[in-house]
Amino acid sequence: MAGSWAAGLRLFCGRVSAALRPLIVSRSGGTAGCSGLNQCNFHKTAEKVNSLQHCRLLHTSGPLKGLEEFFDDPNNWGESTVKSGASWTIEQLRAKSSEDLHKLWYVLLKEKNMLLTLEQESKRQRVAMPSPERMEKVDDSMSRLDTVIKEREDALRLLQTGQEKERPGDWRRNCFGQTYWYTFKEWPIPWHLNRKYTSKKFFALPYVNRYIRLRIENHLRKRARQQRLEKQKWRDLQRKFPHLAEKPQPASLSPGSS
Amino acid sequence: MAKNMMYPLYQLGNPQLRIFRTDFFLTLVRPGVPQPEDIVQFRIPMKMTKFDVQNYLQKIYNVPVAAVRTRIQYGKNNKRDYKNQRIKVPDYKVAYVQLAHGQTFQFPDLFLEKGKTLEPGSFEDIQNKFMEDERQRQKEDPWRAGVSNWFGL
Repeated sequence: MAGSWAAGLRLFCGRVSAALRPLIVSRSGGTAGCSGLNQCNFHKTAEKVNSLQHCRLLHTSGPLKGLEEFFDDPNNWGESTVKSGASWTIEQLRAKSSEDLHKLWYVLLKEKNMLLTLEQESKRQRVAMPSPERMEKVDDSMSRLDTVIKEREDALRLLQTGQEKERPGDWRRNCFGQTYWYTFKEWPIPWHLNRKYTSKKFFALPYVNRYIRLRIENHLRKRARQQRLEKQKWRDLQRKFPHLAEKPQPASLSPGSS
Repeated sequence: MAKNMMYPLYQLGNPQLRIFRTDFFLTLVRPGVPQPEDIVQFRIPMKMTKFDVQNYLQKIYNVPVAAVRTRIQYGKNNKRDYKNQRIKVPDYKVAYVQLAHGQTFQFPDLFLEKGKTLEPGSFEDIQNKFMEDERQRQKEDPWRAGVSNWFGL
């Protein structure tokens, strides 16, 4: 997959504001010189940060620092714990615009890359990773961001096309008479010319009817046995502890549900 | 995410496939074998290609890339568990990225010792412990909820 990224990506780093990153509190005050990198433009950015010290709390987005961004803030090197904020909740993310979410994704991506690098290095040097809970927070935020975007895409699709699923599909039977969800696939040729598609069997011949019956019977017996066992357990419990009989029995054991 | 994305079938003349939210994660690692100064070593996902790595670094991190070389590291398969079954260490892909414009990179020491550590039993160590103890003792009881000591026993 030779994907090329959107050109607008180049801009996002400078624009991301502090409102976008409560998670990365620890990296806000980065004025130390670059130690590992030569020829990086970090000294220029350090001057900028110094001149804008009064609004440091407002604007914490890291300027493009290149490979420096794979490492934590140099002030945090060697610390056993690094302070970090909470992960993004889904309500917070729902309030953001799609553009902001797109930017936030890359902020989180960079943070995760940094944490992965730190984790690997701590494994290599056989020391404890400082504040490993950050990784979980980033993962949570990313998965929530993903769900929010999926929600929006679903809503848009429902409005525009009325399709409920992202990939359309259908309930079909296979040659054993089992019903399963078949997801449609894009083919370069029409289906009646497609030998691979036409060779697939989406029907069952009558000689499998017996086995379908057997399968249903097996399923029903299994379910009945489970229900019987649960009822018996409940009866035994009642015999042992009579005060349980006064309480209503669980919904799964009531005669209505079966 | 790019992982779950279904791209439309490519026909000649279609626009290039684009990734809007990539879920490729790179790990910058300290090279085990000494490398030239301008080479950075990464662990990358198996699905990532050389071109992906180049685009990733240029577009997201703004790092000038001259060349990318990749290989797949075979994970050991000779470990055995208590049932004497083989345990496979997962494989991973390694990318060697050559920086452009004469840039150089050296992996920094992330676990710098900050100040010297005191040897246990020394005078300073005991003093520090004593001070820590005193500080703890003079702290207010959090369970008293700001009620003055006068009411206490």
